[in-house]
Amino acid sequence: MKLNEINLFRTMVRLRAFDEACIEGVPTFEIHGELHTSIGQEAIGAAMAQSLTPHDAVVSTHRNHYHALAKGVPPRALMAEIFEKETGLCRGRGGHMHPFDPERNFSATGIVGASLPVALGYAYNFKLKGLPYVAVGICGDGATNHGTFHECLNMAAAWGLPLVCLVENNQYAISVRFSDVTATPGIAERAAAYGALGRRVDGTDVEEVVKAFAEVAKHTRKGGGPSLLEATCYRHRGHYEGDHDNYRERAEKQRMRAEMDPIARYRRMLVERGAAEGELDQIVAAAKGEMSAMLADIRKDAMPDPAGAMDHVFAEVV
Amino acid sequence: MTADMAANMRKINASQAVAESLFQEMECDERVVILGEDVGRCGGVFGSSRNLLDRFGPMRVRDTPISEMSFTGMGVGMAMAGLRPVVEIMFVDFIGVCLEQVYNAMAKIPYMSGGRVKMPMVIKTAGGNIGSAAQHSQCLWATFAHLPGMQVVAPSSARDHKGLMAAAIRSDNPVIFIEHKGLLLKQAKEFLNAGDVPAEPFVTPIGKADIVRKGGDITLVTLSASVEYAMEAAAQVAGEGIDVELIDLRSIVPLDVETVAQSAAKTGRLLVVDEDYLSFGLSAEIIVRVLERLGPSSLRQLRRHAVPDVPIPAALSLEEVLVPGPASIARVLREMAAAS
Repeated sequence: MKLNEINLFRTMVRLRAFDEACIEGVPTFEIHGELHTSIGQEAIGAAMAQSLTPHDAVVSTHRNHYHALAKGVPPRALMAEIFEKETGLCRGRGGHMHPFDPERNFSATGIVGASLPVALGYAYNFKLKGLPYVAVGICGDGATNHGTFHECLNMAAAWGLPLVCLVENNQYAISVRFSDVTATPGIAERAAAYGALGRRVDGTDVEEVVKAFAEVAKHTRKGGGPSLLEATCYRHRGHYEGDHDNYRERAEKQRMRAEMDPIARYRRMLVERGAAEGELDQIVAAAKGEMSAMLADIRKDAMPDPAGAMDHVFAEVV
Repeated sequence: MTADMAANMRKINASQAVAESLFQEMECDERVVILGEDVGRCGGVFGSSRNLLDRFGPMRVRDTPISEMSFTGMGVGMAMAGLRPVVEIMFVDFIGVCLEQVYNAMAKIPYMSGGRVKMPMVIKTAGGNIGSAAQHSQCLWATFAHLPGMQVVAPSSARDHKGLMAAAIRSDNPVIFIEHKGLLLKQAKEFLNAGDVPAEPFVTPIGKADIVRKGGDITLVTLSASVEYAMEAAAQVAGEGIDVELIDLRSIVPLDVETVAQSAAKTGRLLVVDEDYLSFGLSAEIIVRVLERLGPSSLRQLRRHAVPDVPIPAALSLEEVLVPGPASIARVLREMAAAS
């Protein structure tokens, strides 16, 4: 097999194993808030990782672990943050919805619709300084009906800012179906209204997402202005761990999990191309082993000292 | 302030002072960028960003569409990317449109990141009563002060407008800079307090109150345009033998409780005048903090004079009975003096 194919497969498998390890912390209350996993959406993170440079910026959402890992955020620091440890990326102050890694220009927000404006700020900075970088603002289908979606694409287009708007259309804003609140079949068609490049891709076909993301990122990086990539996908689990998820029919979930699993799809494709099942199994086992060992290690880390609860409100003592 | 500075004093108004501070800070630090509605071609609807576009160009002086939520969030991203944005929200009343980015992003990201991210961002906005009725007259400084993570500055004198804006821009913390519309429109020669402004760049430290008038009978604490009103009132009652000590807070986060408490301990009487709403606000906060410091029975008199909990009406006859002004402040001072 070509190295790149195996790497893509491994990347997706590691993203899933990371989230599966995190899920272990929910019933034990080690993660004592909600947890949003990306299971079923790994192809998008893996594809993004192929095109981004360390200087590019990514602003993600409440469902952000795979975007963070794709941007190069150290997995251990991220998992420790999700498990609320002092050793975490943000010393346990942020938690799983609010990871910040300024060295890698990665951040996220827990508020739907709030990611794009921050990404626009990074894009503005790149344009101001004449730097060849892009800012990726990620949102879901739900956020595309938020005012910021219109405002940011409009400003990015008006000023020619290097903003890549990546929409993960998993068809549900918690329980509200995209088709119940939107007249158009998708979101990519809105790009024309802003004079932006618009593309739609099957977000569970990893090689197609790699190509599509590379195309829009290249367009934007070369000064073509903002681009809008809609990646269709399906959330395999509830909105958060513990979600009763009674708003989606059981039959629909079973069918979609089978049809829209990027890892299973890619595995079939690779086997058809001659990959050895055993080699793929080893990759899966190695990723699970890596993440289990990481979790076991993190479990030994200290929780933040209560004496520091008031630290970091201000940069300077006031 | 140096002797050279004292030699280069001019009478300029608050709006000119802010614009001059922005100009000088942008000259010496290319990371400083201003954005908002009408900040460029128009120079700000109150003129407080005049002369910037011509000198610094549209990438650093950015007229925005009416998209407050997104351009405020854009400021957050710019600050995280290493710039020092000044985001203008034309009237503080508009903050409802973009409060999400203000209190969930700008104010919280330094903490949520465990101190890894700095947020050197200023929100510059106009507040206060000038007869513009309910949706264009609020102060709202207590609203920002209630939400953790922001410094909240509201200058009074033209000199402080310049020095505190420089401090806000140079701070690594997010700063809400509330200009009073009445002060922005006031002529330079009309300022009672510190109308002389040095031509050179200078910084007025954020967090230190200014004792504008020394006195021994009543401690009067306020900020922004009410400092000017209180000076008028204090002058009125001085002839009647009431000697007011007037403190201009300058900022309410941080709040200089020490200066207020020292004065109150001396006079035994504390009056807080606040153009913001009364309930759950600045006046109660100051009184409680002073009592926490000095003891619950340390003072003889406590009074609050603030906007009662009602939207600001359009009619002058109604506005006048709700918003503190020189006459109403003098009346409260006389009542306090008579009661003791």
